[in-house]
Amino acid sequence: MNRPGTQQTILVYVLLAIVLIVFLTPIYIILSSSLKPTPIMFQKPPAMIFAPTLEHYVSLFEARPFGKFIMNSLIVALGSTAFSLFFGSLAAYAISRIRHKRMNDVAFWILSMRMFPPIAVVVPYYIIFKATGLLDTPLALVIIYSTANIPLTVWLMKGFFDEVPSALEEAAAIDGYGLLRIFWYVTLPLAAPGLAVSAVFCFIFSWNEFIFALMLTGSNAQTATVAVMSFWSSDAVQWGRIMAGSFIILIPGVIFVLTCQRWLVRGLTMGSVK
Amino acid sequence: MSSIQLRNVVKRYGSVEVVHGIDLDISEGEFVVLLGPSGCGKTTTLRMIAGLEDVSDGELSIGSTVVNAVAPKDRGVAMVFQNYALYPHMTVRQNMEFALRPLKLDKSESDRRITETAALLGLDKLLARQPAQLSGGQRQRVAMGRALVRTPEVFLFDEPLSNLDAKLRTQVRLEIGKLHKRLGTTIVYVTHDQVEAMTLADKIVIMQDGHIEQIGSPQEVFTKPRNSFVATFIGSPAMNMVEAIVNDGTLIGDHLNVGIPERFSGRLEEGQKVIFGIRPSEIVQVSDAKQSTAKARVEVSEYLGDEALLDLRIGSQELIAEVPASQCPAEDVEIDVHFNPQALHIFDAKTGLSVDIQ
Repeated sequence: MNRPGTQQTILVYVLLAIVLIVFLTPIYIILSSSLKPTPIMFQKPPAMIFAPTLEHYVSLFEARPFGKFIMNSLIVALGSTAFSLFFGSLAAYAISRIRHKRMNDVAFWILSMRMFPPIAVVVPYYIIFKATGLLDTPLALVIIYSTANIPLTVWLMKGFFDEVPSALEEAAAIDGYGLLRIFWYVTLPLAAPGLAVSAVFCFIFSWNEFIFALMLTGSNAQTATVAVMSFWSSDAVQWGRIMAGSFIILIPGVIFVLTCQRWLVRGLTMGSVK
Repeated sequence: MSSIQLRNVVKRYGSVEVVHGIDLDISEGEFVVLLGPSGCGKTTTLRMIAGLEDVSDGELSIGSTVVNAVAPKDRGVAMVFQNYALYPHMTVRQNMEFALRPLKLDKSESDRRITETAALLGLDKLLARQPAQLSGGQRQRVAMGRALVRTPEVFLFDEPLSNLDAKLRTQVRLEIGKLHKRLGTTIVYVTHDQVEAMTLADKIVIMQDGHIEQIGSPQEVFTKPRNSFVATFIGSPAMNMVEAIVNDGTLIGDHLNVGIPERFSGRLEEGQKVIFGIRPSEIVQVSDAKQSTAKARVEVSEYLGDEALLDLRIGSQELIAEVPASQCPAEDVEIDVHFNPQALHIFDAKTGLSVDIQ
């Protein structure tokens, strides 16, 4: 391959810079605003140099039990991720391995659940959860998010399971293992990148979700996203607290994705066959 | 060690029958090779023995137990796959440990077996490596090691050498032969390579289109092929097949006559259409026209070192002769050739069956 010329290199860096600016500016604004004293927050031109303050972070936790809401978000997001990976990968394994002419239809039916506009079912869910006493509990959100996350997991994992050579499972069957143990010890470890990708998608979706959390939770199971928006009222918008809360909300997502990243490696089945 | 019996075993995929009611007896400690061209049902048969495919009909026993409904893990078999099927996320040692774990052995016993097997197959220095870090030959040995540590009753090999280069293939073939002598385990081995079959087998099972064509020792299938398929399948280059008609103690073919040897007397009818077979090494060039079976034109000669292969044309048919390279005639000349009558095989033209066995 030819070495790119200087002009091309410059062009690549300029494009990268534009992309970075587009994506990082909002985060910069969130972080800087959360650290600015209220009087200079909307100063024009924006104050680039200022004495940072943690007052918004302190008042965020004083005004409302924000720690509890973060915990609710974590419970709901991790719960739904675990639930979706467990059932999603089992279903995907079945779809990947069972030879039946209608299997593609089953797979498509599962995918089609994602095409449904979720807002259409908010009221039915409300009624169901009210009747079952699940309203305003983290479990309600775990169930709802899983209905969206499981189809995604099934489709992602099916692709990864298809790539695991069936000879490996046959070898394990002859070595003395039953179906579930083969799945656990041989197939699933080789589809680990798929689990990581699914986990990232499930977690981010559940962590960020707003509408269902707003409609179906009250003071008990409220999540962080909803709590942050509670500082936005018709009387006043408390920008400092919103910015501080938003920045805190960003952190777990970043940590989770970075943790999963180490599993996002290719070529796990190399050397197994041929 | 266990014996294996197949009684009228059938395999169907939907409405397509691929193995048609085969019967086979494999004794304890025997090395049996299933040999045949692609799609003949040999691998399907092996997979039925392993339990990876259901038996559609008939009865399959290992030892004295009918195993039709027994899961692979409970059959006491170990298998070496064509593509090795090593667990890629485990080291060589873990691959063997994984195979041993269901046996619930003591840690010390399982370590002892792994050490022994690794020493036997020369894997001692590779135990900490992962499959991706091994060469093809090493992977092949790991696959054998993983099967071996379990000290199975029956060993199944599915074309284990087909992914190796020619030199390595010869070497591993010898190792497998030695291993069988040493362990005496019952082995069922699938291949399409007749050299592997001839060198390794106690008993060769030749299959075609889901049928067994012949079962016999390597000598038997080579010297007494039951039908024309076996005759042409075994031996390289393949046996020459010539159409002929029986006439007054002679086989009359196109531009050639061969006297019928004594041992066929009474087995052939006057005017019967037959196909006779003669191996390339049994066609010799003669200088005396009286001994000549036919006049043949040398179309091409292929030099192979010790021997040369002659592409001969007799009338409308092409035959191959194998002659010592030193006596190789020039191309495009006509020579006299003699067919050794004692080496003649005669098959009925309609059924393809050898008249020897009728």
